[in-house]
Amino acid sequence: MISLQNITIKFPYSNTALDSISFDVEDNEFIYLVGPSGAGKTTILRALLNDITPSQGSIVISDYEITNHKFKHKAKLRQLIGVVFQDFKVLPEKTIYENIAISMRVKDFEESEIKNEVEKALELTGISDKSEKFPVQLSAGELQRVAIARAIVGDRPIILADEPTGNLDPKTTWEIMDIFKRLEKTRTILFATHNTDIVNSMKRRVIVLRKGKIVSDKKKGGYEI
Amino acid sequence: MNEVFTSLKRTPYQTFAALSVLFFTLLLSGLLFISLTFLQGLLNYVETRPRIIVYFQVKATEDQIFAVKDKIEASGKSSKVTYITQNQAYEIYKEFSKNDPLLVEMTSPDVLPPSLEIDAKDPKFLSEISELISKEQGVDEVQFQKDVVNNLLSLTGNVRRITLIFFSYLLFMSVIVLTTTLSFKIALKKDEIAVLKLLGATNNYIRKPFFKESVFLGIIATALANIFLITLLIGMNNSLTLYFSDVGKLTFRLLGLPLQVFPFNLTFAALTLTVTGVFSFAITSISSFMATNKYLK
Repeated sequence: MISLQNITIKFPYSNTALDSISFDVEDNEFIYLVGPSGAGKTTILRALLNDITPSQGSIVISDYEITNHKFKHKAKLRQLIGVVFQDFKVLPEKTIYENIAISMRVKDFEESEIKNEVEKALELTGISDKSEKFPVQLSAGELQRVAIARAIVGDRPIILADEPTGNLDPKTTWEIMDIFKRLEKTRTILFATHNTDIVNSMKRRVIVLRKGKIVSDKKKGGYEI
Repeated sequence: MNEVFTSLKRTPYQTFAALSVLFFTLLLSGLLFISLTFLQGLLNYVETRPRIIVYFQVKATEDQIFAVKDKIEASGKSSKVTYITQNQAYEIYKEFSKNDPLLVEMTSPDVLPPSLEIDAKDPKFLSEISELISKEQGVDEVQFQKDVVNNLLSLTGNVRRITLIFFSYLLFMSVIVLTTTLSFKIALKKDEIAVLKLLGATNNYIRKPFFKESVFLGIIATALANIFLITLLIGMNNSLTLYFSDVGKLTFRLLGLPLQVFPFNLTFAALTLTVTGVFSFAITSISSFMATNKYLK
């Protein structure tokens, strides 16, 4: 369960990034955060990661009130969350297996558990044959699969995806969306994008943002710019 | 360990710089430690020797000598007072001059003065005992190793002060060089640290590889410095044994336990290894903590 109440975020020397945003997310819900660049999609995801602290309002994730100034469990909070970014953020000096395993190593899983779960994630994302390769040997689509595999291993009930298809061609975009479809109902997913085609194809809950405000929040919505 | 080796191999110049500084620091620390303990042992040795010898006039009576002896013992400042008669003095003289029989023939017991050898409880009583007995009847001359003890006390005090200043400087310099080297390595890995933080890695988890790397360098530097120090001690042992042939052995008390400093031995080598090891661990821990702290804030 994620709850954002009256979240306002102001960056120095710029306009208000988020202006009294409120919404709740049920467990295992799939939500699209959509809107043009600068609408506040990434800012919401950063606030959920406790990367930025709101000027006002409260965010509760599981049992954590993360907007509390005395909040000291950032690492524990982030261990609940898997992140997928447009630029993949994979580690170039580690193999694909190591890139995925690191998500569990930070949580002190046993090596046997890591091996078991990483192999399952590699299979789910269709890159089992790439486990010993290095990121430089993979295509953009394959790297995004690595990022997704890293986000789903290690008992992470929440996935925050920030424009995960932004760097991909249409064919690969749909392959990546297939993986996300397989993940829904097992995890809470917040998917920030401005790709109208993928939003309209899935008919899931859509929160539309514009200039830091929610302009619509539809249970089975679509999206038009 | 593979990650540590890989990281060290990737930055050979920084590794060499850090290792050199650590080695030099630990070598000097070890040398200072050995010098300080050796001087302390020497001071302890001098402190336990008979330091005051009271020579009586040849015509002094035994009553006069025993009166002085009683006075010294009653002062409570001596641990032992030994009376050397004229005959005993002659025996000592004969032993001392055994290579020169002519000198022995020319001397007889009655020309040698009787004496008292006094062990003071503390070097600071030397002057007090000397003043106490110098004007007693029958006393001819009072000799004691005032200069030797004072010089050793002063030298040990100076070495302690210099060691403290030097240790602080070495610690500071080593921490700065090691922190700079590690900061460079951390800067190369800042993207990796950012990803680890996003995944929920704790600060300790992020610090661990850098800590392991610097401690590993510390272990190598400690081993090299101790190999050098032990070789030096073995090399010096023979010449020092000849020089200090009368001394026998030097000891000092560590945490209430007597420890032999000279002739150099395995226990003393182990203590030197422990001291340099602790020093090395302190430097590497502080450096890795300072270097990583900047990126984790």
